[in-house]
Amino acid sequence: MSVTPPETDDVLFGRLREGQEAAFVELYRRRQGAIYRYVLHMSRSQAVAEDIAQEVFLALLREGCGFDPDRGTLSGYLFGIARKLLLRQIERGRVDVPLEADVEDAAMPELAVESDVLEDLTRREGIEALRRAVATLPRRYREVVVLCDLEEVDYADAARVLGCPIGTVRSRLHRARALLLDKLHHERRPAPSVSTLNPIRCLT
Amino acid sequence: MNCQEFRKEFAEGGDQASLLAHPGECASCAALLAGHLRLRQGLRLLAAEERHAGAPARVELGLLAAFRSQHRLARRVQARQWWIPALSWALAACVLMAAALFLLRPHQPPPAHRGAAVEVASIAEAPDPYQAEEDDGFIAIPNARGLDPSEEVNVVRVEVPRSAMLEVGLAVSADRVSELVEADVMLGPDGLARAIRFLDEPAM
Repeated sequence: MSVTPPETDDVLFGRLREGQEAAFVELYRRRQGAIYRYVLHMSRSQAVAEDIAQEVFLALLREGCGFDPDRGTLSGYLFGIARKLLLRQIERGRVDVPLEADVEDAAMPELAVESDVLEDLTRREGIEALRRAVATLPRRYREVVVLCDLEEVDYADAARVLGCPIGTVRSRLHRARALLLDKLHHERRPAPSVSTLNPIRCLT
Repeated sequence: MNCQEFRKEFAEGGDQASLLAHPGECASCAALLAGHLRLRQGLRLLAAEERHAGAPARVELGLLAAFRSQHRLARRVQARQWWIPALSWALAACVLMAAALFLLRPHQPPPAHRGAAVEVASIAEAPDPYQAEEDDGFIAIPNARGLDPSEEVNVVRVEVPRSAMLEVGLAVSADRVSELVEADVMLGPDGLARAIRFLDEPAM
């Protein structure tokens, strides 16, 4: 018995252009989850994620939507629209984004390796801690982690979505992971409060 | 590969094979790589946990409604406008046919003024009106304009009352004035009669 391989996004898009509803439904169900989760991670708002997911697919329905299969994948195109809409929401102040710490190379933590922290990552609490850590990453690092690590977008597509070279995607991802490990480490071993410190010498 | 090269390659997201080669020689780099891989594993677990998150069903319903209304509208516009190209083609065909008929129609002389026409003789048979009286019995009609030899003429056979013979100076007996007699009338290019020949003149 032969199994028919699923139609590619490009084929579905072609059928969608011919007005085939089934193709649109298939394409939507295949891609909406990733778009919704990406916006949700970036905005931390279900309402915003819902609105933008809808807007992205409405844009796809428009006659001159601008998607060109020769210039990239449909998935990358959808993420690109979602990102633009998200940035517009942020500019208008509709998305509550905390001020980002200016994380420079010099301030980057090493990929701190503590086996107990990493062991936790396979447990329930570890996953939750990781989710929180991702949520508190600065936006530019969070988006590469969400795109490349969580949604498995390849580097080339991610570079197109973010409008930067692939090398930048790689380096941001590396820094983002280092920050994640640092956050996980600090969550497990919070900095001691002032009251718990034992003064050795008074300098005044 | 030394530790420095390893870390540089690691930061740039270098290829996995060369990264895996070095840590066997260095415990610190091995721990760094292990931490990185464990973090990746944790991120994969987080992604798997979120895999089913997506936009609520109302988004799909809203998009389907938009899709249907868009394509219904498009179909309605198409249905409403089907006759426009058909009408255009029909008009174009009519214009072409009219043009073809105009170009192919035979050249006909302007219609002659007819009385009781019997038949039209050919131009070649038309006699010279100045010699007709002597040669063919044509008599110039009084007060009619003369004909140039180059002018085209038509000869029409008609029946006229014998009284018409009086007009050209022929004698007619009083008891036969009302009888009809056959005659050939020579018409000029303007359709006016120029000469006449009575066919049964000897019998009058």
